Amino acid sequence: MNMLSLQHFPIYSIMVLFLGAFLIVVFGRSKVVRHSVALLATCASMLFMMGLIKPVMLGGEIISYWMGARVPAGGYAIGIALEVDALSLFFGLLVSTVVFVACIYSIQYMSHDDNVPQYYTLFLMLAGGVMGMVLTGDLFNMFIMVEILTFAAVALTAFRNTVTGALEAAFKYLVVGSIGSTCILAGTIVLYAQMHTLNLGQLAALIPGNLTTSTKLAFALLFIGFCTKAFLVPFHPLAADAHGAAPASISVLISGVLTKSGIYGIIRLTYFLFQSMGLGTMQFWLVFLGSVSMFVCVTMALAQHDFKRLLAFHSISQIGYVLAAVGLSTALGISAGVYHAMNHTIFKGLLFLAAGAVLHETGTTDLGKLGGLSKKMPVTTVMFLVGAAAISGIPPFNGFASKWMIYQASYQKAVESNNIGFLAVTICALVTSTLTLASFVKVTQSVFFGQLPKEYENVKEVPFGMRLAMGILAALCIVTGLVPNYVTRFLTEPAAKAVYHVGAYINSAMGAGYAESVMQTVPVAAEPSFVQHGVWSPVSWLCLLMIALLALTVVATSAKYDKVSLGEATDTKYQLFYGGEKNFYSQVGSDDLFWGFKHNWRHYFSFMHELHSGVVNDYALWAVVALALATLYALVVL
Amino acid sequence: MALILQALRYLVYVLVFPGFLFCFMTGLLLCGIDRKLVARMQKRVGPPILQPFYDFFKLCGKETIVPAAANRTVFLLAPLVGLAALVVIQLFIPVFRFSAFNSIADVIVILYLLLIPALSVIMGGAASGSPYAGVGLSREMVTILSCELPLLLVLLAIGKVVGTALGTGICFSLSKIVDYQMAHGSLLGKLSMIPAAVAFLLVIPGETGNHPFDAAEAETEICEGPLAEYSGAPLGVYKLSHAVKMLTMTSLFVALFLGGIGTGIENLMFQLGLSGGAAGAVAFLLEILVLFLLCAVLTFLTISVVHAVTARLRIEQLFKYYWTVVAGLALISLVLAWYGL
Repeated sequence: MNMLSLQHFPIYSIMVLFLGAFLIVVFGRSKVVRHSVALLATCASMLFMMGLIKPVMLGGEIISYWMGARVPAGGYAIGIALEVDALSLFFGLLVSTVVFVACIYSIQYMSHDDNVPQYYTLFLMLAGGVMGMVLTGDLFNMFIMVEILTFAAVALTAFRNTVTGALEAAFKYLVVGSIGSTCILAGTIVLYAQMHTLNLGQLAALIPGNLTTSTKLAFALLFIGFCTKAFLVPFHPLAADAHGAAPASISVLISGVLTKSGIYGIIRLTYFLFQSMGLGTMQFWLVFLGSVSMFVCVTMALAQHDFKRLLAFHSISQIGYVLAAVGLSTALGISAGVYHAMNHTIFKGLLFLAAGAVLHETGTTDLGKLGGLSKKMPVTTVMFLVGAAAISGIPPFNGFASKWMIYQASYQKAVESNNIGFLAVTICALVTSTLTLASFVKVTQSVFFGQLPKEYENVKEVPFGMRLAMGILAALCIVTGLVPNYVTRFLTEPAAKAVYHVGAYINSAMGAGYAESVMQTVPVAAEPSFVQHGVWSPVSWLCLLMIALLALTVVATSAKYDKVSLGEATDTKYQLFYGGEKNFYSQVGSDDLFWGFKHNWRHYFSFMHELHSGVVNDYALWAVVALALATLYALVVL
Repeated sequence: MALILQALRYLVYVLVFPGFLFCFMTGLLLCGIDRKLVARMQKRVGPPILQPFYDFFKLCGKETIVPAAANRTVFLLAPLVGLAALVVIQLFIPVFRFSAFNSIADVIVILYLLLIPALSVIMGGAASGSPYAGVGLSREMVTILSCELPLLLVLLAIGKVVGTALGTGICFSLSKIVDYQMAHGSLLGKLSMIPAAVAFLLVIPGETGNHPFDAAEAETEICEGPLAEYSGAPLGVYKLSHAVKMLTMTSLFVALFLGGIGTGIENLMFQLGLSGGAAGAVAFLLEILVLFLLCAVLTFLTISVVHAVTARLRIEQLFKYYWTVVAGLALISLVLAWYGL
């Protein structure tokens, strides 16, 4: 077989990352070597993924790669397989792109740290782990990748171990993350004992006919395992701690990439292995969990006063959107869900990079201490505003495009199934979006606008590499928001269709005709419907806005609008108005904001405050309780 | 040639009707009527109806002072973006049969587009660096939060009613909502829509930031909050935006709930034996006049009367009021609509 045939691309894109990690261990002492190895590896990985767009996304092929060419024999798949269908490739593309951008950013961001070679090694291990996890076609292989990515992420969380709370965060992550990994391992074992195979395709063919108590137990175990990777409620406190302590470039990976691997796992588990597409109880389970995560985490974010912790909670809130949309199990819902997953990766990456830029220049992310940075860091401010507008669902940025599809999908589902419960999801999603906006207004006011504290008067704009990384993501935010039609046609609809084509996935792994011979009813890949009832054409809107703005600017400049008077701060005319009192430093930000809202919700907030004790024992207990509940649900209801 | 004509037509839409000129004239006129009516209800003489125009031109002639602490670009750009976004929204709201652009944004998108003018106030205030603006923008954001929930419940209810009637399940397209009302009578005539209409009317003063829901700009305590540092033309633009927002919200109500009324004119003229180009133009002008009168009545009902008889609410009272009373009304409507009443 030709070494450059498409068949090999998946393994290459995983391999280059791990290879890069090992090379950096050996030769990483030199700055040039480690930077070029890291950049080359991540870039190559991204290019390999892009090479697959044409056959997989557009051509609808599924690429199976058997390691060591151990193809299935005698109806059993013993070898390890990589299976890349449109869903895997979609997540693979996301992962590799963001990893590449984070790598560009890291070069200057990490330049003042010690032990940088170790950083890159772990960085590439984490990236390789996630790539492996989304591309693999083998359940045990998936577990191994999960272990690799979890431990790399734990180590990276504590990478800046001089930062207060870094070790504590890593420890919490380690404990609860291990519970999650153990769940995945236990689920894998149970399934293997039942089905005597680990290949995802074969499992998908066998499980629906053998829905015993043990397989349901395995479902609960695997589900909770993937939930810990996605940090869904009740595992959300970990994410906040981890993001708060980890370097920003790692936060990007944890939020943009690691949580996506959890979502990917959940989709594979529920819709492929257990084929519960049309099952009302499963829809309820996913949508409920998604909505709860969405709402709880956005309110938690409103109560934060640390930039990165705030972003961390938002990250789970957005993952809640993804899960709720995917849980609708309509074609539009899944398409909207994966679209939002992509957008979340982009804009949350951008926001974390902006937070990192602020940290890099000022040394703090405490919202109460910052202020007025927009005059010192204009580029970062613009980048941040783009990201903030995108996550808050302001048209025409990408967050709106996908949230818009989620609103429609959930409302459509409610109307079609005549179930008023789904309507609550629409309302929850709409309200959450506005709450998200509120919390980003808070960040904008607390960090970038308002008054500049004395100690930050010499702050400078971040170096070029960091601006470039932010610029790439900001451009993606705008582009994917302006052309939602193309994004859905070329990326998300193929991914959503792949979810419907379970039979094809099985046959691709096990050989043609396998699904038909084993399963009583092969899930028929009916052409899913992506009909949208909404009307939104961002480009035309933007054109109109530009015409309007242009007209307005012409009028304004021909009037006296641009003849503004600007003066020195010493002239009292140009000082801020203090009602006649003496001028003093008075920044309104952080906790001062939104009293009107928080006052009405004070009981809720104090309840949440007590609940989130910060003690790892409690969080471990939550994990166990969640597992118990999931098991109960799986055994009794499913 | 056809392309150029098309482009010219769009340009006329944006600049004249229903774009800038129309927004400017009617918005400020509505504002003037409101001020006059409130004054009369409070037994004052009140300013002349054209006072907002005088105010606007006066502000444009004044010096614009940019505080030394401010971020200049954002401070000066925010008002313009807000006004432009608002005018573009007005393009999507149909004037009875006429709608300038009906395939760009539907009503849920409009709900989100309405955030942009509000955000422009917030951004401008934040960029000024003033602590008054800080307090004001915090309240402005809470006001947005308050209004959002009832408003979206109302829109969902309308989408359900119209969608069920049209057989598409859901429908958020404004022009289709208006078409539906022409065929089946105004939505206000439906039992399930009455609480929604009341809720929408109650949302109007909150969205425009009028008394008693003007905690964000409370002149007497926080010196107009986000606008504390603004002067000259930018302040004039904000005042204009405020006036245009009154037009936007009231004409949105007309489109959503009273969509059937304006078509009567053309039918009437047709019955009187009048048809053809000139009669069509007259009918169209009459429709615009009817729209303006309806907007003026709505402004009187929701803004002036409420202004004259109430005192300003504190921000947490405002939030509670909208999320309990108004959202409750809208929810009743949604549930009724769901069960097909």
